[in-house]
Amino acid sequence: MNELLTEMVDILEVDAVKPEDKLRDFDSWDSLSALSVIAMAESRFGVNIAAQELKSVETVQSLYDLIQSKKS
Amino acid sequence: MPSSDACILVTGASSGLGRAIAIQLSQTHRMILHGRSLNGLEATRAACLDPGRHLVWNHDLNSLDNLGTSLVSRLVAAEARVESFIHCAGTVKVLPVRSTTFQIAQGLLNVNYLAAVEIINLLLKKRINQDNLRNILFISSIWSNFGSKAHATYCASKAALDGYMRALAVELAPNIRVNSILPGAILTSMAAIGFQDPEILAKWERDYPLGLGKPEDVAHMAAFLVSPEARWITGQQLTVDGGRTVNMSLR
Repeated sequence: MNELLTEMVDILEVDAVKPEDKLRDFDSWDSLSALSVIAMAESRFGVNIAAQELKSVETVQSLYDLIQSKKS
Repeated sequence: MPSSDACILVTGASSGLGRAIAIQLSQTHRMILHGRSLNGLEATRAACLDPGRHLVWNHDLNSLDNLGTSLVSRLVAAEARVESFIHCAGTVKVLPVRSTTFQIAQGLLNVNYLAAVEIINLLLKKRINQDNLRNILFISSIWSNFGSKAHATYCASKAALDGYMRALAVELAPNIRVNSILPGAILTSMAAIGFQDPEILAKWERDYPLGLGKPEDVAHMAAFLVSPEARWITGQQLTVDGGRTVNMSLR
């Protein structure tokens, strides 16, 4: 989770990110941030997330759960 | 048994457009099929006319340092002369510019553009290819001339290829013709990310006057451009896109 939080701080350009944070609440969240998340999931965690799947992800925790589920 | 007839070298022949081009040109030429996937290359060769006639060259274009030695040893072993070089290998990266470092950009440029530079350098050397090269063809993209969100590095790599194409056309004339084919969206594994997204698919249906393309559409243009019938065409971007880039319709 800590690795994901670090990556999200970088993508969202904020000081801190918590698992319960909602992606859409961040000022910088847009379609390009979504693409950065997809690219990061692949390069950092080796998993493939489709843009469609990301649409139903609300919080950073759900994103983490999605990545974990794809790892197995 | 090595033959001395002139070959066509196609990079990226293990799938997609490269495979279609290889199969099309195998009807009339001896091919050197390059790709990253040996299984893919063997499948392409099996689909070519007279499979035993064609050669396979397996090398990852990300490895530029040993690309030269790999190509030269392949050519020497096969006693092959390369008459046409078609650079179809390419990769795409969907990434916003604010996440794109120069290292990431370099990776894409290596395969999409610099690998072609290295191969051409070698094919022009007398001791390697004995002045046999007559035709160079780049498979570029309509995105060479236009922008696309999160595709800056891809757009730049194709624009680099086409800038290089024009300079080559001028420098290598009159013996060698150099052109680029600019395809629109075609269903291949590289474009799969777009084809899996219903929103993108729906937009493509609206934006393409002639609908989406097939690999054969590009293969037929390639066959023409390497033929004697195209003898007075050089330095050109040939767009094969179902009318996409001329479409400014409101709906």
